[in-house]
Parts: sequence; structure tokens; C-alpha cells
Amino acid sequence: MKSSPFDYHRPESLAEALSLFAEWGEEARALAGGQSLVPMLAMRLARPAVVVDLARIPELRGVARTAGGWRIGTMTREVELERVAGLPPIIAAAISHIGHFQIRTQGTVGGSLVHLDPAGEWPALSMLLEATLELASSRGSRRLSAREFALAPMLAALEPDELLVAVELPDCGGPFGFEEVERRPGDFALVGAACHGASVVAFGTGRVPQRLTGCEAHMAAGGGSGLELRKLAEDEMEAHGDIHASAAYRRQVGARLVERVVGAAAAA
Amino acid sequence: MNVEISLAVNGREWAGEVEPRLTLADLLRDHLALTGTHLGCEHGVCGACTVLLDGQAARSCLTLAVQADGRQVTTVEGLSEDLLPRELFQCGFCRSGFVCSAEALLRREPLPRAVELPELLAGNICRCTGYEPILDALSARLPG
Repeated sequence: MKSSPFDYHRPESLAEALSLFAEWGEEARALAGGQSLVPMLAMRLARPAVVVDLARIPELRGVARTAGGWRIGTMTREVELERVAGLPPIIAAAISHIGHFQIRTQGTVGGSLVHLDPAGEWPALSMLLEATLELASSRGSRRLSAREFALAPMLAALEPDELLVAVELPDCGGPFGFEEVERRPGDFALVGAACHGASVVAFGTGRVPQRLTGCEAHMAAGGGSGLELRKLAEDEMEAHGDIHASAAYRRQVGARLVERVVGAAAAA
Repeated sequence: MNVEISLAVNGREWAGEVEPRLTLADLLRDHLALTGTHLGCEHGVCGACTVLLDGQAARSCLTLAVQADGRQVTTVEGLSEDLLPRELFQCGFCRSGFVCSAEALLRREPLPRAVELPELLAGNICRCTGYEPILDALSARLPG
């Protein structure tokens, strides 16, 4: 349970960080809050030659209101976001499910997005709200949709020399539903579902958070949140089984959560 | 390549060279002989290693010592004995983590409500399952 050795850099500007990633590529790992990377280092699931600590880069911090929504710097800690005045309630609700409060003091928005755990709240929220991810490298910058970004479990569409700089969310006030089933409060969700506007997402179920397009079409056609919706969700939901829950359990409970979050979003 | 860091632990400055891979928990225990901070799971689940980092609760097993450079660390040794007295606990292994989490909760504005405690403290595991005296003692200090 001790990490293998690595060299440590703590750049003080984005340009300096990007030149380190340009130099080291796949041998370097970015350290955000460390709540996912440090255990991966300890279990030697990650053995980078170089760790680049992003803690002292001012360009990566902060939350700003934009013309069409919100721009959240990759190094914004969950606890900082919790204190932002006027934060849409769906974001506050999602954050409340992220780990324990002792994790949220250190964990960052960008760290969760890049780590891309299938049960992570930020990947689910980004998919639900159709977030845009701003990436930068010493070659330039580019923007990806959440769908393009989430390639596979624990695999974001980042080139080895690229860094996630910020996430942009559209205006997302108004009614929503966000629910998880977990063994104890703060654990990773066995199953989760969320609904906002005409969008529905299931997470913790498949390889990456899944937009349930069949359910969305059903709602757009005026269908309600009853048994019919649950059946649709069960049919289209990708679900995997593991030591914590079988695929059948995830599909059944996930579909029930879909029914609940759609109901909550409609009733509010 | 070792890195020079300096930090304040329980109000006392410490400076030295550390390996980048050293966790804050191991720095406290092995280099500063502050063995009140305990290591259980070493991946952030059990809560035994919880300390205060700049006044906020954090897992010292999920924090590298280099990340604590320039910051204030408070461990169980720097907190009041009366907050959660020893006799509330059976084996006591989890106590330091509970004390640091409790201190962080008591510093919050607004204070959490007593009824919220079981969920808030879900990040600290007591393997003796002696939760009730711990929760009762802390509840007594909180509103409703």
C-alpha cells in the first residue's frame, strides 16, 4: 500500500504545466485533489514517473457565471463549489453525494471528471447537462462534449500532453431529480439516476454514464413516469454485475430510480 | 528526488526533505512521531487517519506530504481530550479520526443538526460498532 517512487513538479502557471506534459506525456499524471490518484498510487494501479501537482496554478481555479451558464475551473474543490451563491440546486444535490465531507474538502471537479469512474457524480452530471470540456496542451486548446470526453470507464479522451482546464455547464436551474443507492452514505453509488429538463441519465450501471434516449423520447411524447417508463428504462439500460451488485439488480433498481427522478423533475 | 517542505503541525513549524511518494499520514507517524493518527485502510474509506488541513477535515492517507507544504495541520494530539473522551470508545483505534471529524463539524457555519450526525459521520468506521456513545456525546453539543 505504498506508492512506487516518482518525481514531483508543482508548476505555478498553466504554461509551465503544459510544457511538463508535453515533455513527459504518458509518463506524467496530473495531481488535482488526490482523492482518486493517491489511492491508485498506493495500490500501484498507477505508476507514473512524474506527478504534476496542479494546486498552485491560478488559471485552473474558480467558478464564474457566463452568458449561457457556468464555467468551473478544473481545480475547484467540491467544498468551494458548495459555498457558491446561487449555485443551481441540481449541482448542489449532486455534490452532496460525492464521498464523505472529509473527501469533498480536497476532491476537485476536474479530478472527478478525468478519473471518470462509472459511478462518479461529475461524469453523470456532465452527460446529463451536456457540459463542454475545455482541454489545453502546448499545441493549443480544444473543446469536447461530455459524450466525446467519456470514452470508457476510467478513460477520458485526453491526449497524453493534454490537461482539462475547465468545464462549462449550461444554465441548469429549475426542477430536477437526482438519486443514488449506496451501501452507506458517501460510498460510490451502486446505481444512480438523474433527470433535468428533457434529459435522463443512469450511472454506476454501465461503462460510462448513459443517456436514456428511449425514456427521453417517451417523455417528449407526453408519456408519464409510471410503469411504462420503468419498463423502457429497464430495456435500454446497460448494466454490469460485480461483487457489489448483479446486473439484474442494477437494471431493476436503476429503472426504479429513473421513475423516481423523472417524477421528481416533473412534480417540482 | 526529494522535495523540501515546511508545514505547521499543531502550531509547531516543521521543515525537512521528503520523498514525493510519502503520505501525510506517514510523515506524521514516522517522521514526527505523532502516532495518534492511525492508518486503517490506507485508501480513504475507514476515516481513521482523518486530520485537519487548514482547518478542514481531510484524509491524511489520501494526501501526499508535499501537498501539505505551506499549510496548517492539526492532529488528535493538538485537540482537546474532552471533545470525545477516551472512555466513549472500546478499542480506541478509530478515535483520532472521529475526534478530527467532530472538530471539523463543530467549526462549521452553520452547525450541523444532531439528527444529521449518523450520515455525516458515515466516513468514520468503528469496527467495535460502538457508535452510539460517540454519536450521543457529539449530539449533546449540537442543535436539535
